[in-house]
Amino acid sequence: MNLELRKIEIKDVVFGEETGVKDGVLTVCKQDIINELMEDVNVKSIKVDIAKPGEKTRIIPVKDVIQPRIKVEGKGNGFPGVTSEMVQLGSGKVNVLDGVAVVTIGDIVGFQEGVIDMWGEGAKWTPFSKTLNIVVDIEPVEGLDPHTHEATVRVAGLRAAELIGKAGKDAEASTVDRYAMDDIFTETSKYPDLPKVAYVEMLISQGLLHDGYIYGVNSQKILPTLIHPNEELDGAVISGNCVAACDKITTYQHQNNSAILDLYNRHGKDINFVGVILTPELTTLEGKFRTCDYTAKLCKTLGVDGVVVSEEGYGNPDSDLLMICKRLEDSGIKTVLITDECSGWDGMSQPLADTTPEAVAVISTGNVSHVVELEPADRVIGSAEAIATLAGGWEGCLQEDGSMVCELNAVIGATSEIGYHNLTVELY
Amino acid sequence: MSYKVLYYVNQFFGQVGGEDKAGMAPVMKDEKVGPALGFDQLMGEDVEVVGTIICGDNYFNENNEEAVKFIIDAVSEKDPDLVVAGPAFNAGRYGMACAGVAKVVADELKIPVITGMYAENPGLESSRTKAIVVETADSAAGMKKALATMSELAKKMLKGEKLGYPEDEGYFAQGKRLTVFSDKRGSERAVEMLLARFKGEEFKSELPMPVFDRVEPAAAINDLSKAKIALVTSGGIVPNGNPDRIQSASAQKWGKYNIAGKDSLEGEFYTIHGGYDPVYANELPDRVAPLDMMRKFQKEGLIGEVYEYFYTTTGTGTSVGNSITFGREIGKELKEAGVDAAILTST
Amino acid sequence: MEQAFVVVTNNPVVGKDLGEIMVVDGSFEDVLLKVRDLVYEGHQLISHPIGASMRMLFSPYRSVLVGAERSETKEVYALTIESSIDTFRRSTANRNVDYVNADDYARIDLELLKEAIKEHGIIQREKIQEVQ
Repeated sequence: MNLELRKIEIKDVVFGEETGVKDGVLTVCKQDIINELMEDVNVKSIKVDIAKPGEKTRIIPVKDVIQPRIKVEGKGNGFPGVTSEMVQLGSGKVNVLDGVAVVTIGDIVGFQEGVIDMWGEGAKWTPFSKTLNIVVDIEPVEGLDPHTHEATVRVAGLRAAELIGKAGKDAEASTVDRYAMDDIFTETSKYPDLPKVAYVEMLISQGLLHDGYIYGVNSQKILPTLIHPNEELDGAVISGNCVAACDKITTYQHQNNSAILDLYNRHGKDINFVGVILTPELTTLEGKFRTCDYTAKLCKTLGVDGVVVSEEGYGNPDSDLLMICKRLEDSGIKTVLITDECSGWDGMSQPLADTTPEAVAVISTGNVSHVVELEPADRVIGSAEAIATLAGGWEGCLQEDGSMVCELNAVIGATSEIGYHNLTVELY
Repeated sequence: MSYKVLYYVNQFFGQVGGEDKAGMAPVMKDEKVGPALGFDQLMGEDVEVVGTIICGDNYFNENNEEAVKFIIDAVSEKDPDLVVAGPAFNAGRYGMACAGVAKVVADELKIPVITGMYAENPGLESSRTKAIVVETADSAAGMKKALATMSELAKKMLKGEKLGYPEDEGYFAQGKRLTVFSDKRGSERAVEMLLARFKGEEFKSELPMPVFDRVEPAAAINDLSKAKIALVTSGGIVPNGNPDRIQSASAQKWGKYNIAGKDSLEGEFYTIHGGYDPVYANELPDRVAPLDMMRKFQKEGLIGEVYEYFYTTTGTGTSVGNSITFGREIGKELKEAGVDAAILTST
Repeated sequence: MEQAFVVVTNNPVVGKDLGEIMVVDGSFEDVLLKVRDLVYEGHQLISHPIGASMRMLFSPYRSVLVGAERSETKEVYALTIESSIDTFRRSTANRNVDYVNADDYARIDLELLKEAIKEHGIIQREKIQEVQ
């Protein structure tokens, strides 16, 4: 498969009459977006705002973040299986509005978390303080059942990204990243001496607000599945995860999966990157045993020498992570795990919910309980109640001057377990 | 800016006496005694050791409430910026006392504490999270080096400077996991770590897994009514007078006593364990080591027989290393004697 | 492995229409402790006792699937429930239970429970019993 991601550098975003890109400035026609999204009968109202890096703006609660793109050559614009018809992804040329993110807000439940601060202390902890954010607030009609409510917000966000992406149709790319990977046998014959590496990507798959989708198929329904890395880079995997702000894999992060990108970088040089295995994190123990056995077996069938395993979430998925690790290590396959931890406010607690001695190589992407102080914002895009939930965590969260302390758990992308962000943990 | 330091030592380093003085109650000396003097000199002009507390190791461990009160009063009187204890090297009871000092000063009085211990000192476990515990040699031969490291770190602590990594600075990791920014994103670090594994290069996991000491349980007993059961305790139950001088804490030995023909330990045994209120155990030692119940079961035919020897030691403050040794030694004797199972009580 | 299940729960919106339920009159932690007791009595632990995110640990309500019949106490079930209780206590030590959003948590707990039941397979015993 051959995929080209052509990055159009966007330096500013403004509202205007017509959606388009000129001289690095993205103009967005707010009304066009609103009109199109309102075509869904389940949508009651749409608001669109812009938040730029450095502004004292807070976005809360964030549901998903999506990168606006348009496929200029080849099939599969939008999100096949979800917003557009099913096609095989992973090939062609895609124009990417680089530096722009579509951020959806609109809570399905009151306890949803996810804050993006565009300035100050809070900005350091999220990668999305550095993107020009087009914030889409989606309000569904009353009386929807929760599944329909979630789907409505999810799809509207993806459609918004699709619409905005169209602006990049004729724009010129400043950089072009090429992802070319043939079948495993061809690649192996090219690089017979390089160690074979697979990437196991665990996805939260436990029900409402805890979902992932592959070509629109809910990941709770699948057995661990082999997928070509280009497919994920091309939009095959999207997020239905509305909890765990700090480590949920947003759609943007699927489109730009850093583990895939970093492995791809080394392909043909230090490693032979054979592919990605998507592994659902199920709720039942039998389900976990099955997916972990199956994942390990797929790795063995591919004849890999090493595997990078990433997790999504905290708590019961820690069991899956370590079971997969143990099965691989026992088979002589070297693993590196990427996970976040929960070591308490003082960093003194046992970091994971589970342990296994075979996990000798682990990357920690941060302590979700690490406390940060957020200054009061000049502008809040989203809901004030969400701030109250954030601030209601414990006594003394919210201070008199409006600043508040919150855990990294609530900050979008802070402890990304695909290693998207650059936090680590040191022992003192 | 000048700083005040309060120093804590035991009876030996306080130059009062040896084992014979281990029961001495704490005293406060205005002078710098023993290591306090060396420490003071290393700290330079801005820092002064304003007093030395000297306390017997046994006293601290056996009269914890009074000892703690003394410390609190002493701190209140001297108002130090830092408290230094030890270094205790591998002396178990001294290490436990330093840990006790760390607990009250750091947790309750919120004043930083620095001490020094050898890696196997039983006091390390509880003190390392509350104080900075410098790693020392196993004997006072390492005093000079210990004080040098302790003073360097103490200077930083007084100035409020952040300490470097434990392995660089020479103290035991407190177990504090601090979230910081790295210059590389997580996935890049992951790929690099995998490459290091392929090449057989050294790498450092960012999340070490705890290692649990798992012991395989022995097979179940087929017929309890024919089994020979031994009674073992770490509750410090010894014959009156403690003829073998088993320690009240940080035991260095275990004892073995013939209990053939005895229906209970009452009257002939008592407790020397320094970790619990002895009143009820002294009244009836079987409350800790239930020989009376075992005899009852034997008479009722529930168990075959009670092994004629009773094994005992003290658990509190006893190092893991010693515990493993005692366990192996006692286990060997029991196995050779054809014992099928042991009742092991602790407190 | 398909066998009849019991829902151990303190969630008021979990109804008998889902199957056999064992109502725990108490907190999230009380539900975990009840599950622990059942595991030690030999019941299979079917669904993982805790959720997949920190947020779900602050829920006032929790439902766990446990096997209806007793057999043997398995190590993996005992270890799982024990470490879940430990994780729960450590993670919620300084936090308030989020009663403000209790209704939402009740709904989501119910949804997740339904998914767990679907994953497991719906096998019912003949009689529906209600046990304290």
